[in-house]
Amino acid sequence: MIQVAALDARVGTFRLRDITFAVPAGQYGVVIGPAGSGKTTLLETIAGIIAPQAGTVMLDGRDVTREPPERRRLGIVYQHGYLFPHLTVADNVAYGADDRAFAEAIAARVGASAFYDRPVRALSGGERQLVALARAFAVRPSVLLLDEPFSALDPRSRTQARRTVRALHRELGVTVLQVTHDFTEAGLLGDVAILLDNGQVLQAGPPDDLFRRPTTPYVAEFLGAENVFAGTVRAFAPSAADADFSGADELLARGHRPLEFRSGPLIIYAVGDAAEGSSHAVIRAEEITLSREMNPTSARNQFAGTIDEISTVGSFTRVSVDVGGVSLVAALTTRSVQELALAPGARVYASFKAMAVHLC
Amino acid sequence: MTRAGAGAHAARHSTAAHRTASVVAALLGSLCLLFLVAPIGRLVAGGGKSGVGELFTDAELRRSLWLTAVTATLAMTAGALGGTPLAYVLARRRFRGKAVVAAVLDLPLLIPHPVAGIALLLILGRESAVGRMLLHAGIRVAGSPIGIICAMMFVSAPLYISAAREAFARVDPRYESVARTLGDPAWRAFRRVTLPLSARGLIAAAVVMWARAVSEFGAIVILTYNPKVASVLSYDRFTSFGLTEALPVAAILSILALIPLVALRALRPDRGAGMDA
Repeated sequence: MIQVAALDARVGTFRLRDITFAVPAGQYGVVIGPAGSGKTTLLETIAGIIAPQAGTVMLDGRDVTREPPERRRLGIVYQHGYLFPHLTVADNVAYGADDRAFAEAIAARVGASAFYDRPVRALSGGERQLVALARAFAVRPSVLLLDEPFSALDPRSRTQARRTVRALHRELGVTVLQVTHDFTEAGLLGDVAILLDNGQVLQAGPPDDLFRRPTTPYVAEFLGAENVFAGTVRAFAPSAADADFSGADELLARGHRPLEFRSGPLIIYAVGDAAEGSSHAVIRAEEITLSREMNPTSARNQFAGTIDEISTVGSFTRVSVDVGGVSLVAALTTRSVQELALAPGARVYASFKAMAVHLC
Repeated sequence: MTRAGAGAHAARHSTAAHRTASVVAALLGSLCLLFLVAPIGRLVAGGGKSGVGELFTDAELRRSLWLTAVTATLAMTAGALGGTPLAYVLARRRFRGKAVVAAVLDLPLLIPHPVAGIALLLILGRESAVGRMLLHAGIRVAGSPIGIICAMMFVSAPLYISAAREAFARVDPRYESVARTLGDPAWRAFRRVTLPLSARGLIAAAVVMWARAVSEFGAIVILTYNPKVASVLSYDRFTSFGLTEALPVAAILSILALIPLVALRALRPDRGAGMDA
């Protein structure tokens, strides 16, 4: 388990301020943030490489704030493996291991057996990262810190390495904290996501919460939400048969209520606990569906508009729809776009559920 | 003139200027090289053969060369033992007054060497408190091989510290960080990772220090004229007997200087050594 409380650390002029979060034992935490946000500084402070100026670091319930790195029972893997170039691959993997046979088994597990006898200099970038991972796992750490370990790899090696780390994390019960600037990676890997910017935690929680229920519009935009609108909220009383609020019973039972959000020409219906007044509405692009005909269910969040831009990346396509001067972005499969024969200038209906609207 | 014509003219003009500059640079470079090489070449040509011959016949020369090699080696060892931790701290740690410490360490390189000898005499001579204490303990510094070692160390250790600091700085500290997280205490991480990765640089630094110690004259001559190291012997023969007598000793010293030069070439660090990532 990793528990960080009110942590302050300084490197040159950069400062980490009041960092607080926890990754429960055996879970996978992901720190997301842009370059220069303090991700590596945070990992190195947890590792004991950088001494904090204030706050505490607890690993597995033990206060290690003043302990040197070698007594923290953790491993660290940097973006570049930092394999010891004067040692063989085998000696690198076994560097800190008590049990050489276990180290060898881990090397085999990550697929490093094939180049076990090669000199470090002869390895490719992907191979180096695998060896670095094996070296870190071989000391049986209780906590593993990963500093963008896959970012220098080609897509295929990256997928392979991710899978291996995930599997070893589960098998060995290691608590992992990985930093990345790749939001997809955070969603793919994390049980807990920590959003870091300019040395501060903006939000921490399950990745789904961060992506779907960002606490501020800044977080929403930071995490790639394309539909973030400023406006005003007021309470609203729907009819019993209102399709928009079907399935919202659980939320309504928890004290959430139907709300109406107005932003320019848009009137959006939502379910939430936001106070009346100024607010922001966030709708993930994946939650918006497009159709050529008006949806017969008479869903309230349905808007007629004109397609002004279509951008395709592989099997996914983002369609921007102009609704009375406001742009709504929908993410569809490329196949759906073809089936609907969507093209710039075409008239479409964009719709989404009230449950898909997050007010913050 | 047409625009194309003007362009061609400018290009020709630029090529001619470039050629002139190249010729001037080559000339100046050649003159500088000649100035550095000619005296040593003349020395070796004039006294090299007889110098090699005197190695077999001149016992004083042999004794002097042996004394020089031994004292320089001891000075180098002492300098490396004390200078390595200092260089490491300067390369790795941030602390208040670091720039002042670094500047003070370079000072012996900047002061005239006889002045360095006088400074050492003030601290270690018979009249000084330390000198008296050492004499009381049976250790004579001035006028003994210990004085030679002290003088050599004073003028050459800063070179070692500076080069060793560079060697440590070339090793990314994250190697050490990784070793620490793998269970090594600071000292063991230094021994298992930083030291092997900076070894070539440290040996090169030691060779530079040794070579500088061997060539020292000014500080040694103040502290210990006798027994004579090679540089003092060549000076002594020049002042006592003239140029012809001094030539073989001077020539043999120049030839022996090739040893550290060759060693340094062999130790030239690999590109990216210690920077592997």
